[in-house]
Amino acid sequence: MGLEWYIARRVAWAFVVTFIIISVTWGLLAASPNPQVSNAVRSAAMNGDDPAEAREIQKKRLGLDEPLTKRYVDYMVSVYTLNWGWSQTRSQPVTEAVMNGLYYTVQYSIPWTILVILISPLIGIYSAANQYSWKDHAATGFAFFGYAIPNFFFGIILLLIFGLQLGWIPITYNTDVGVFSLANARQLAIPIFVLVTGSIGGTMRVARNESAEFINADFVKTALAKGVSPFRIYARHIMRPTMVPLSTTVVGQLLALFTGASLLVEVVFSIPGLGRLLFRSILAQDTSIVLGTSLFFVFIATIGNLIQDLVYTVLDPRISFSDR
Amino acid sequence: MATDKSSRFDNVDWEAVTADSGRALSTNLLGTLLCVVPLIALLVYDFVALGQYEDTFAFVGIGYDVTQLDWLFALSLILFVFYALLPLYQNPRITRYYWREFKRNRPAVVSLAFLTFVFVVGLLGPIFISQPEIDLVTQYQPPIGMSVQNTYPVQCLGEVTSGASGQLCHGSLAHPLGTDSRGRDILVMLIYGMQVTVKIAFITSLIVITIGTAVGTVAAYSGGMIDEVLMRYVDVQQSFPTFIAYLLILYAYGGGLFLFIVLFGTFAWEGTARYVRSNALTKSEDEFMKSAELTGASTYHIITRHLIPNTASSIITILTLLVPGFILAEAQLAFLGLGDPTAPSWGQLLSTGRDALPYAPWITLMPGFLIFLTILAFNFLGDAVLDALNPEAQAESE
Repeated sequence: MGLEWYIARRVAWAFVVTFIIISVTWGLLAASPNPQVSNAVRSAAMNGDDPAEAREIQKKRLGLDEPLTKRYVDYMVSVYTLNWGWSQTRSQPVTEAVMNGLYYTVQYSIPWTILVILISPLIGIYSAANQYSWKDHAATGFAFFGYAIPNFFFGIILLLIFGLQLGWIPITYNTDVGVFSLANARQLAIPIFVLVTGSIGGTMRVARNESAEFINADFVKTALAKGVSPFRIYARHIMRPTMVPLSTTVVGQLLALFTGASLLVEVVFSIPGLGRLLFRSILAQDTSIVLGTSLFFVFIATIGNLIQDLVYTVLDPRISFSDR
Repeated sequence: MATDKSSRFDNVDWEAVTADSGRALSTNLLGTLLCVVPLIALLVYDFVALGQYEDTFAFVGIGYDVTQLDWLFALSLILFVFYALLPLYQNPRITRYYWREFKRNRPAVVSLAFLTFVFVVGLLGPIFISQPEIDLVTQYQPPIGMSVQNTYPVQCLGEVTSGASGQLCHGSLAHPLGTDSRGRDILVMLIYGMQVTVKIAFITSLIVITIGTAVGTVAAYSGGMIDEVLMRYVDVQQSFPTFIAYLLILYAYGGGLFLFIVLFGTFAWEGTARYVRSNALTKSEDEFMKSAELTGASTYHIITRHLIPNTASSIITILTLLVPGFILAEAQLAFLGLGDPTAPSWGQLLSTGRDALPYAPWITLMPGFLIFLTILAFNFLGDAVLDALNPEAQAESE
C-alpha cells in the first residue's frame, strides 16, 4: 500500500473523471438544438421546400435519428479511439485540425511554462529574503499588477505600443517563419511576456509566503550555525520545502490560464493555435471542431490535475500513503 | 452586574436570551421575510397578471420592466443588508475590532472605498442618469486633456487647434471621458457598466455561498455514501475547465447576461463546499461545539449559530478571489463577441473600441483600467480581510 498503489488509484480516478465529463458534454450537446439541422430547415423554408422533410434528411445524414443510447455509445467509442469526426468548415479531420492548432499553441506554451517555473520561485524567495523592504514591495506590486490586469487587455496595449507606435514587433502573426528563427521569437515575445506576467502573480505570492515561514525555522538556524553559505541555505534548505506547495500552485495557475486567457491572447495576437480554432469554430457553428477542441482542453485539464496531485506527493517525502 | 467596569464586559441581557431561545423570529429573519414576501408577491404579479412585454411598475407609472436578473439582484441585496450589514450594526464591539485590524492595511482601506464607490454609483447611477444616446454626429470625442485628429469626429464639441499633422480636436466638458464610435458618452456607459459588475458580484456570491455551504454542511453531517458522492462530484466539477464549459454551454444554448451570471455561480462553489466541509469536521471536535451539543442544541442551531459564523471569514476570502474572476470572464466573453450584446458591461465597451484603437484608444483604455482597478481592489481587500478576520493566519505567516 505505498506510493504505487496511490498513483494507480489516482490515475484510475482521472479516467473516471474524463469519462464523466465527456458524458456530460455529450448530454449538453445532445439536448441542445443542432445548428446544422436548424440551418438546413431555414434554407429549405427560404427555398420553398418542406422544412419538416429537410429536417428529417439532415438528421438522417448526421445520424441524429438513431436512439439516444446507440448515439451515446458510438460517441464514447469514437472519442476514445480518437475518431473525432470531420470538420465541415475546414474540410479536414478534426484530429488533424487540432494537431495543426497544437503546433502553434505549443510554440508559446513551452517557453511560457519554463519561464514561470524558473522565475516565480526565484522572485518569491528573493522577496521573502528581503521581507518588508522596498524590493519586497516592488516584487509584490509587480505580482499584483500582473495578476489584476486582464491578459487580453494588457496584450492589446502592448500591441498598440510596440506594434503600432514603435513598430518593433509585427502586428499580425506570420506562419511562414521557422519555429527556431529570430522572426518567430520576435512575434512570440510579447504574447509570452503577457502570459508570464499573468501567471507569475499568484505563484510568486505563494512562493514568498511559504518560504517566509522557513526563513526562521530551526533547521535553517542550524544550517546557519554550521556555517552553510547563505546561497546554499536558500537554494537547498528553503527551496526544497517551498517547492512542495508551490508546485501545485504553478500547475493550477498554468492550467487556469491555458484553458482561459491563452485563448484570448491567441485571438488578440492572431496566433492560429487551439484557442483561436475553438473560437472560430464557435462563430462558424462547426460542432465537431468545437467538441474536438474542448475535449482536448478537458484532457489537458485532467492530466494537469493528475500531475498536480502526483507531483505533490512525490516531492514531499513526509506524506504517508497508507491513509490515503 | 458585580463590576463597575461594565464597558469591558458584554452585558448579558438574560431575559433577551431566554426569549430568543424560543421559536421567536430574529430581527434579521423578520426583516428578510418582510422584504422577500412583497418581492415574491411582485414576482407572481409580474408573471401571472402581466404579459411578457408589459412593464412591471406600470401601475405606479414607471416604465421599467423588471428582468429575471433584477429579481435575483434584489434578493441578494436584501440578504446582504440583513445578514452582512445588520449583524455588523448589531455587534458594534466586534465591528470596531474588525475595523481597527482592517484599518492598519492602507491599500485595503483605499480598495474598500473604491469598491463601495463602484457599488453605490452602480446601484444608483442608472436610476438618475438616462441611458447613453446614440448620436453619430458626436462620435470619437476625446476625453478632457486628450486630442484626436479632427477627421475622425464628425463635429468637434471642444476646441479645435491646428497642429503639425492637421487639425486637432480637443476634449470638452460635454463628454468628460469622451465618446465611443457611435457617439455615446463613455462616462455614462461606465456607470451603467458598474451596475452590471455589481450584479455579477452580488448574484454569483449569493449562489456560491448558498450552494457551497449547503453541500459542505450536508456532506459533513451526513457522512458515509452521501459525503463520498458529493465530494467526488466536487472533484469532477473542479477538473472541468470553467471557461471552456461556459463556451460550450453558450455554443449549445446561446444566452444572455442572466445565464452567464447563473452559470458563473453554479460552476464555482466547489472551493466553498470543500472548505465548509473540512471546517465542519475539525470544528465539531472543538469544545464550544461539544458544549453546544451537550446543552441540547439542535443540529440546525449548531450549523447556523456556530458553524457558519466560524467559516464566514474564509468564505469572504474565497469570494474576493472568485468575484474578480467572474468580472474577468464576462469581459473576456464580451471581448470575443460572445457576450450579451444588450448588457452595457465594461467588457462590451472595451470590445467596441477595439477597431478604433489606433486613433481613439480611450474607448478601450477607460473600461480596461476600470476592470484592472476593480480586480486589484478585490485582491487587496482579500488580503486584508484574511488578516483582520483570522488573527491566527496572520501570526502564522509572520
